[in-house]
Amino acid sequence: MIDPDGHMQPDVQGVDWTSPQMQARLKKRYWVDRLFRGLGLSAVAAAALFLIVLLGNIIQTGISGFFQTSIEIDISFDAAILPDPTLPRNEFSQAVAQVNMQRIIRQALLEKFPDVSGRSDTIRLTRMLSSGSRSQLRSLIVRKPEIVGTKLPVQLLASDEVDQAVKGNIDISLPEENRKLKNKEVGWLNQLQLEDRVSLNFHPRFITSGDSREPELVGVWGAAVGSGITLLVTLLTAFPIGLAAAIYLEEFAPRNRLTTIIEININNLAAVPSIVFGLLGLAVFLGAMGMARSAPLVGGLTLALLTLPTIIISARSAISAVPQSIRDAARGLGASPMQVAFHHVIPLAMPGVLTGTIIGMARALGESAPLLMIGMVAFIVDVPTGINDPATVLPVQIYLWADSPERAFIEKTSAAIMVLLFFLISMNGVAIWMRQKFERNW
Amino acid sequence: MNAVVEPLVATESKPKMTIRDVHVHYEDVHAVKGIDLDLYSDKVTALIGPSGCGKSTLLRCLNRMNDTISDCRVQGQIYLDGQDIYASDIDVVQLRARVGMVFQKPNPFPKSIYDNVAYGPRIHGLATDREALDEIVEASLEKAGLWQEVKDRLDHQGTALSGGQQQRLCIARAIAVNPEVILMDEPCSSLDPIATAKVEALIDELSGRYAIVIVTHSMQQAARVSQKTVFFHLGEMIEYGDTTQIFTAPQQEQTRDYITGRIG
Repeated sequence: MIDPDGHMQPDVQGVDWTSPQMQARLKKRYWVDRLFRGLGLSAVAAAALFLIVLLGNIIQTGISGFFQTSIEIDISFDAAILPDPTLPRNEFSQAVAQVNMQRIIRQALLEKFPDVSGRSDTIRLTRMLSSGSRSQLRSLIVRKPEIVGTKLPVQLLASDEVDQAVKGNIDISLPEENRKLKNKEVGWLNQLQLEDRVSLNFHPRFITSGDSREPELVGVWGAAVGSGITLLVTLLTAFPIGLAAAIYLEEFAPRNRLTTIIEININNLAAVPSIVFGLLGLAVFLGAMGMARSAPLVGGLTLALLTLPTIIISARSAISAVPQSIRDAARGLGASPMQVAFHHVIPLAMPGVLTGTIIGMARALGESAPLLMIGMVAFIVDVPTGINDPATVLPVQIYLWADSPERAFIEKTSAAIMVLLFFLISMNGVAIWMRQKFERNW
Repeated sequence: MNAVVEPLVATESKPKMTIRDVHVHYEDVHAVKGIDLDLYSDKVTALIGPSGCGKSTLLRCLNRMNDTISDCRVQGQIYLDGQDIYASDIDVVQLRARVGMVFQKPNPFPKSIYDNVAYGPRIHGLATDREALDEIVEASLEKAGLWQEVKDRLDHQGTALSGGQQQRLCIARAIAVNPEVILMDEPCSSLDPIATAKVEALIDELSGRYAIVIVTHSMQQAARVSQKTVFFHLGEMIEYGDTTQIFTAPQQEQTRDYITGRIG
């Protein structure tokens, strides 16, 4: 169409929005819309399903790891064998430590099952109970000296095999030679169960004690404390160094070739496999500096190397998100570069910096590969108390238990994973909470 | 060390700042081309001109805010009371305390109203005790015409004020360090007409006490608030004179075209 001035004008009236071609276009557009929405939704559903299956499986397997079977046995605290309860407390407990508890327990069991005889059957019978039952009994006597000379029913920890049978994890219908728990033991267990002497109780020891060779005696506390001390070392080294590096790079460094190379390399470091940091820690901290192996100090420093790039990158993005106008305002009032950075930019960037740090720490908490390199994979029973004590951490503990042959370690592994996930989810929860609380719109 | 700089117009009083043959380059862009200008303590000078004419760049040279832009080069001399502000012995921090700045977009600190105003005096140690600081804060807010509106909520966030109040808070913050020159970079461009009127009244109020330089895109604003007007075009100063003269009898055709809205 040509208007009176001789210019071309679009022929707007000529478009027929109701034509079949237009209708078909519209229909196709709606269809594509629906398709993409459907694809997105199914992707989310698939991701959620994987997560639910994973968590469900771990919880289903692991929840029983927090419980342990006890067997009630009538123990006679024979005054002839045990020391005099009127002794002073110290002397009494020292004397109790000398007593052969195994003998008392064996006596009680043989009383319960009078028809058991012969050396091998007696050993089988006593092995129904955990080796931890002796120290259980000892501490009971020390705690209550007045029971000496009486006969009382006492709850004693069952062995891991008995525990697994009670939890239904051992298939009794298998042929006898294919299972560790033989028919005789199954019979004794059945008799005890009939007498209502077998109970499955919450087992606080799993939370409060360290590692052990016996699955029924293990606990995550040693590993949790090890993780805590290690992370503390990581935090105290990686946070100040990372923050200082980020501040320098964002606020003070000139933009030149050197800083560009440094930036690229920091970004590359964040993508380096963690085991490489383990090798670096092995070479530097253990090799060159000769620090104690298997200690939280070395583990923490190695994990600090690993988290440093994460902290620097997140701190830099938080710092650069502070608007230029704030810097201008402070500078325009005559604030020095240091004052601009420390009075205004860093306080405003802090929530973002801390969020990044917590996420970095959560990654360090879940890391096991670099710690294997520096010897934190040792079997350690004692709960560590300092940065140079031998220690292990939760992920390595999980790895160690997953590697153990006893059937009962399966549930302990899953239970330890639950504890680790609890810490990880808590840390991420704190990060999310902080982000929401301090989020700022400019 | 104070250079004696001859004023451009012999009849005027002694200028506060003198700008002589200033050129500014950004990488390969020649943004400001040889400007000579005098700024007076008792006058408001308006810098007008189309976008990209170098007026904001020149303004930011006056308190060396361009220093932080790494590829910005400033040549020529700018004197404050006869002292070259680009000399190596000049402390930029002190210079910026003497030459304050108000920005295009209100940019109060995300702190309380009190802390916004008190920040400058604090970092320069202008108040010896809390009472003296209180006085400075009150006087500054009073001068900025904001005291009556905020005196009961000094602990509220400065960012929670309305846009016009925020800009007046920024002006209060600038005058709290007792500057000699105040630079304003389009201070009303993000404000509504009522807030603009308040800020303009404030500029009028302050005009006797400080040398004020204001960059503006609004002809009417320049005509209302300033006594001297400079017209820039493509980095060059086309015309400089009394505001009344520039707006009623411009000497240059370009100035006339711009003021009447034919270019720009």
